[in-house]
Parts: sequence; C-alpha cells; structure tokens
Amino acid sequence: MSPTGHTDAGTAGGAIPRLSMRGIGKAFPGVQALRNVSFNVARGEVHALIGENGAGKSSLLKVLSGVYRADAGDIRVDGKLVDAASPKAARMQGIALIHQELQQVPHLDVAQNMFLGMPLTHGGVFTDKTQMRARASTALASLDPSIDVTAPIRTLRVAQRQIVEIARALLSDARVIAMDEPTSSLTPREFERLTEVIATLAARGVGVIYVSHKLEEVYRVCTRATVLRDGALVGVVDLANTTEDMLVGMMVGRTIEARAHHGHAGTERVLEISGLGRGHAVRGVSFALHRGEVLGIAGLVGAGRTELVRLIAGVDRADSGTVSLHGRPIRSASPREAIGHGIALLPEERKRDGIVPLRSIVSNMALPAFQRWSRFGLVRTQALRQRVREMTERVGLRPPDIDRPIRLFSGGNQQKAILGRWLMADAGILMFDEPTRGIDVGAKADIYRLIEDLVQQGKSVIVVSSELPEIMRLSDRVLVMWRGEMAGILERADMNESAIMHLAVSGGRPQ
Amino acid sequence: MSGASDIAARSGRIRLKIGLRDMGTLLGLLLICVVFASLSDFFLTERNLVNILQQSSINACVAIGMTLVIISGGIDLSVGPTAALTAVVSASMIVGGYPVALAIVVALAIGMACGLGNGLLVAYGGLQPFIVTLGTLSLYRALALIYTGGNPILGVPSSFRVLFQTQVWIFPMPIVVVAVLGILAWVLLAKTPIGEYILAVGGNEEASRVSGVPIARTKISAYVISGGLAALGALILVARLGAAEPTLGNLWELEAIAASAIGGASLMGGKGSIVGTVLGAIVLGAMRNGLTLLNVQAFYQLLATGIIIIAAMLIDRLTRGRE
Ligand SMILES: Nc1ncnc2c1ncn2[C@@H]1O[C@H](COP(=O)(O)OP(=O)(O)OP(=O)(O)O)[C@@H](O)[C@H]1O
Ligand SMILES: [Mg+2]
Repeated sequence: MSPTGHTDAGTAGGAIPRLSMRGIGKAFPGVQALRNVSFNVARGEVHALIGENGAGKSSLLKVLSGVYRADAGDIRVDGKLVDAASPKAARMQGIALIHQELQQVPHLDVAQNMFLGMPLTHGGVFTDKTQMRARASTALASLDPSIDVTAPIRTLRVAQRQIVEIARALLSDARVIAMDEPTSSLTPREFERLTEVIATLAARGVGVIYVSHKLEEVYRVCTRATVLRDGALVGVVDLANTTEDMLVGMMVGRTIEARAHHGHAGTERVLEISGLGRGHAVRGVSFALHRGEVLGIAGLVGAGRTELVRLIAGVDRADSGTVSLHGRPIRSASPREAIGHGIALLPEERKRDGIVPLRSIVSNMALPAFQRWSRFGLVRTQALRQRVREMTERVGLRPPDIDRPIRLFSGGNQQKAILGRWLMADAGILMFDEPTRGIDVGAKADIYRLIEDLVQQGKSVIVVSSELPEIMRLSDRVLVMWRGEMAGILERADMNESAIMHLAVSGGRPQ
Repeated sequence: MSGASDIAARSGRIRLKIGLRDMGTLLGLLLICVVFASLSDFFLTERNLVNILQQSSINACVAIGMTLVIISGGIDLSVGPTAALTAVVSASMIVGGYPVALAIVVALAIGMACGLGNGLLVAYGGLQPFIVTLGTLSLYRALALIYTGGNPILGVPSSFRVLFQTQVWIFPMPIVVVAVLGILAWVLLAKTPIGEYILAVGGNEEASRVSGVPIARTKISAYVISGGLAALGALILVARLGAAEPTLGNLWELEAIAASAIGGASLMGGKGSIVGTVLGAIVLGAMRNGLTLLNVQAFYQLLATGIIIIAAMLIDRLTRGRE
C-alpha cells in the first residue's frame, strides 16, 4: 500500500504554495516530536493533518504559529520566509492558529477579544471602542452576522467563540489558518456552520489546515491530507482516491478490525434512578441500570446528558429525586461520597475537571485511589507504579513514561490517562462522558474493548456520547435525553440511528 | 520544568529524587557562600556555618508549614501572630510554674487551633486565603496583646531553655528539630495520600473534587500544620531569648513566603519543594550572616534580601524557557 506518491497539488502548475514547511524538526526532552516534516498547503485549499495521538499534529501547528520554535527547517508563506519567533510575530506574517482550548478572556466583549493585544486607539492613548466594534462586525459579517460584537465572550457558545477567533484571524489578514480539533465539542449543526465558514475562507484564498480524528469530517471538508506518525511524515494523499481504510492504515500502521457489539447485561438492577432533577437542566429522569450492562445516553448538546451523570456522581446536587444502589437509597453530597458508593464519573471537560497538569501520570491516575494504595499512612509506591504501568499499557499511553507531568502529553494521551484512572479505580458503576473525545481511531477500538472487559467483570457502565456510531457500538440500551427530560429508552433490537435521532430531536412527541 | 527532568537515583526499593529546581537553589546557596568566603575569613569556619543554620532554623520551621499551605493553593499571613500568641501563653505558663511539658503541648495546641481557624474559614467559609489570614493576622495579634496587656513576659526559667540549648554532636537542638521536621514534611508530601492531595488540590481543585479528593480536609490539614510549626518556631525563640513579647514574630510571614518562593514554590499553588524551602531559608540566613560579618548596615541587608528574592524568581523564570 503506497499512496505516498506526493501529489503535490500545492505546487501544481508551478504556482507558489500558500504555505510550505520544509524539514521541520522539533525535540522535547526525551521525545522527538517532529522529524524532518515537510508540508504544503495551496491557495484556497483545505488540507487535513491527521495521525494518531501524539503523532505531532499539535506540535507542528504550534511550530507554525510561533508557540514553539523549531529546531530545524523553514516556513514560507507565499514563498516568503517566515520567522515565527512568537505567536504575535507569526500572526503579523499571516499565520493564525485556532487552538482547541480557545484562548479568550471570558468577561471581555467580542470586539475586545478580537483586538486583544493589538487594540485600536485614539492617538495611542485611549482605546477606540467604536472603531473596534465597527471593524469587528465587518469581519464577522461574512462568517456569522448573528454574533453581537458587544456581548461578553462568555455568553457565546463554543461554536460562536470559534468563529470569533476565525474572524480575529481575518482582521490580521491571515493567509494561513490552522484549526486544531475544532469540532471536538460542536453539534452536528454547528459543524455544518463551520463547514460553510471554512468554505468562505477557502474561497478567499486562505490556506486552511484542519486537524481532526473524525475521518468522515475530513472527507467532507478537505481535499488532501497529510499523515503523520511518530513525528514523521507518512505521506500526502488526495482524499478523492483514498479510502478510509487506506487512511487508517497509514495512520496506525495496522488494520483495525471492527468488532461487533458483545452484550453482557444481566437482569439484576444495580442502580435505580427515580424522578431525578435539577432546575431546568434535568427534570424527572427515572431509569434502572443492570449488572453488566452498558447504557448509552444520547441526545443533542444541551439536552442534559452531562448534567444527568454529574448529578448521579455527586458533582452537582440534585434538587429532587432519589438514587438507589442495590435497592437501598443513597445520598451523594459530593463526588467523594459517590465514589465511596462505587460510582465514578469520567468528566467531559478534561482540562477543567480531569487533569492536574503539573502532576505526573502516576499521581493523576491514582488520585481517587491513594488511600486504597497506602499502608500505615504511606503510599505503596512500588505496587502502585506497577499497576499504573499495566494500565498505561492497556490504554496505549505514549510515550509510556509514567513520571512525566501530564500536561506534556498530547491531548488524546491525556484523555487515555484519565480514562485509565477510572479503569483502575474500584468502582462498580462507571460513567464515561464523551470517553473518546480527541482519541485516535486505533485507540478508540482499544477503549471499546476495555469497556467491554469491565462489563464482562460484572461492572455496569453508562456512556454519554455525541457520536451515534459509538453509542450503537457499545450500548445494550440507549437512553435519549431531550430538553432535560428523558425522551425514551431504546432496547438494542430497536436501536438504529434514525430512531435515536427522532427521539433526540422531537422528544418522541408527535409534531 | 523541574518535574520533567528529575535526577532519580535508585537504590533498591528506595527512590531518592532531587529535583533540578532544588539543585538550582543549592547552587545559588553555594555561590553566596563562595562570595562571602572570599570576603571574610571567618565565614567558612565551622562555628559560623553552624551559626547560620541556627539562625535559619526558625524561618525554615515556619516556611515548611508555609510551603504546604502555598502548594495547596493558599497562603498563611497569620504565622507571626500565631507564634506570638503561643509564645506568650506558654511562657506565662512556664513562669507561673506549670510543667514544661504541659506548656509545650498547650503551645502546639494553640498554634494548631489558630491554623484550624484559618483552615475552616478557607474551606467552609468560601473566603480567599489571603483575606482570611489577613484578618486573623490582626485577630491573633490582638489576642496576644490583650492577654499580656502589651507587656513582655520575662524570666523564662532555664528548665525550659536548656531543652533547645543541648547539642547533638556539633548541632544545637533547634537545627536537629528542624532537620527532623524537614524529613517528616518531605515524607508527607512525597509518600502519603495527604501529600498527593495537597499537590492535587493546589494544582486543580475542581479536578481533585471530581476525583473524590477530600478538599476541605486537605486544606485544613495544611493550615493546621502551618499553625503548629509557627508555634514550634515560637518555642525555639522563647528558649533562645528567655522572654516572650506579644509583638514577636513580626514579618515572619514574609520571610517564610520568601524562603518558599526561593525554594521553588509557586504562589499559584500546585508546586513547591520542602528541600527547596529549607535551602531557601538557609540562603536568606547566609546572606544576613555574611553581610553582618562584613559590617554592612541593616538597611543594606534589607536591600540585599530584596534583590536575592527577585533575582531568584527571574532566574527561575528564565531557565524555564519558552513553553
Ligand atoms: N511542551 C512539551 N514538552 C514535552 N513534550 C511535548 C510537549 N508538547 C508535546 N510533546 C510531545 O510531543 C509529541 C507530539 O505531541 P502532539 O501534541 O503534537 O501530538 P498530537 O498529534 O497533537 O496528538 P493528539 O491527537 O493526541 O492531540 C508527544 O509525544 C508529546 O508528548
Ligand atoms: Mg493535539
């Protein structure tokens, strides 16, 4: 299999590519993140950058946008050498990066955020709000005219905030815009909107770089793809004549067998929820979870899925309803109490609720379990490290260095570590909120298998996911949420995408 | 950053880790010693070096507690008044003829109670640590002043003072006590669940909460330890001076914060080192000692302390490089 024949549409017809990166190398202590990577984007092209977790995608974009300095190689925009000494310098030279974790100041308004670090002034003294707002709304007009430039940024949805970042890039006349996993927290409709925005950018001749683990999206949005593996270039392909299997093969260097669903659900009711609610977010939800069952929770963004599992896990407090474990009502005023009852939650927002950035993989993974791993007040370091090492092997953490601070790992690898935290915790009921967000195709299959191992051992699992294929692959039953209420529960036999979507969109009510 | 490139020496089952950052603090200390040694013949004598350690011991003691609080994401501005309150109460007990052992227990209990007050207000009152301990800074000081009517308590008998005047080999008792405490604190931070919790809570409180870490208990422990160590510092000082003043401990909080910061603690929380803090306290002690030997005026000593703190922070920042 060799789709590696460099098609080089980027230089087709001898035209100078919008962006060319040549021989880029970047090392971090103990890791060669990029080695001799070359990368071209043509004018008006939308180019995918794909690869496994830790392959070096984010690092390449950070080198491009001046966040990191490359050890080797050069960057050209329209044939002109760029010195990306800092993010600001890169921006001045026409390169903008839309980070996955948006870097905005929540309480400042849209216009202020768009001019952050480069405000317009009256004679260099007072900020010129009127002018900034006018220019901001002009820039936004072609992308999303519904956004109010005077609204504080925190009142906007993630998708809108992303568009504000893109508009900000246009203000500084960006000719290359790179997006690092822009869709990981977007709804399908917001994704459609983003697709239109990207098309607008391409039509203006901007070179767009698109990083995603969702291959369907890559095929929808991009024309060519560059594949990285272990920091090196595997190849550049025209998506039109490359199948998804070929792409996956290039990314992971092996084929991934798609396994069918394996059920282990018993009949014993382990967890019973009745009339659970909190404000408008969740209202009167009742269901039972069986031993060895995987219960999927589907619904649109904002339907109350995350809120529901947070209530069960004691992260937020319910104002009505009861939770019973093995038939006995329990009260969880804090996550600690819930964990004491054997109920654990993998939170949706990894950065805010999941990781302790400065601490090592060991400390992060063992966080809920330190008490269990200690004797006479001291942590049994050797045994604990052994267990952590086993678990990192099973989730495929890379690099497998358990003493490295977690913040130095790639996004997907951080997610694997946090997942590992709960796989090694001694919980009978595990709730995973978007478990595979940001995780590559190969690791996804491994994680599905790990979840199946859990239920095979008699544990019960709840999976919240926005990806229907994931829900369908894992669930024995699926609970669909609609505007804070439970729209219905589908048995495996009745489970199909259209049935789920029908409930998610209409709440199962006749329209 | 320091954690990324720890120098790990393994001998059997014991893992001894000396962080790169601690090596830096040690290097700074050695540099200061070299400079003073070249300026004064007396500086490097055994007697003077022991002197430096003795003079640094109280600050090191207080700073160890401060470091734990800072790592947990807080700050304890009330250590000086806590020390003053414990000093006057225990001194008056000893002078009044109560058993020395009882007085020491009461002193530590008062110190820990002061810390408990801080901890409860921070953990359950939902107030910011800076504000809480700014308040108790005045409050505890006022209690000390009211208790004594503003007068010093004099004539602490030698039955108490000898406790801290005995020596182990060449080292006076205060040095030994603080060394043992340093080791205990290091073990606490590196080897126990509560240490992991302190680091986690300071590093990301919400993630820790979701992971089931007992947030309130963790924070309160740090403040209680800090209060207890401030009380111990007070006992060492009372033994040295033979008296207790209600105004004792003035600016202790700043010295302790300085030692922690020089040693690598981040005021943002989640990061800090016991070894570094102890070295930081010695850096400050060595500076003061050396400048005194050279007959430099107190004003200039203050100036030098300020420069050392800022220089340490700048070097820290610069060597960390671009992230
Ligand atoms: N600041 C850093 N210090 C040390 N190592 C780093 C740093 N940033 C990234 N790395 C390492 O560089 C490698 C590439 O990481 P990068 O974030 O580029 O991966 P990625 O392809 O974006 O992965 P993902 O799909 O998980 O986001 C990883 O091994 C990572 O651990
Ligand atoms: Mg990445």
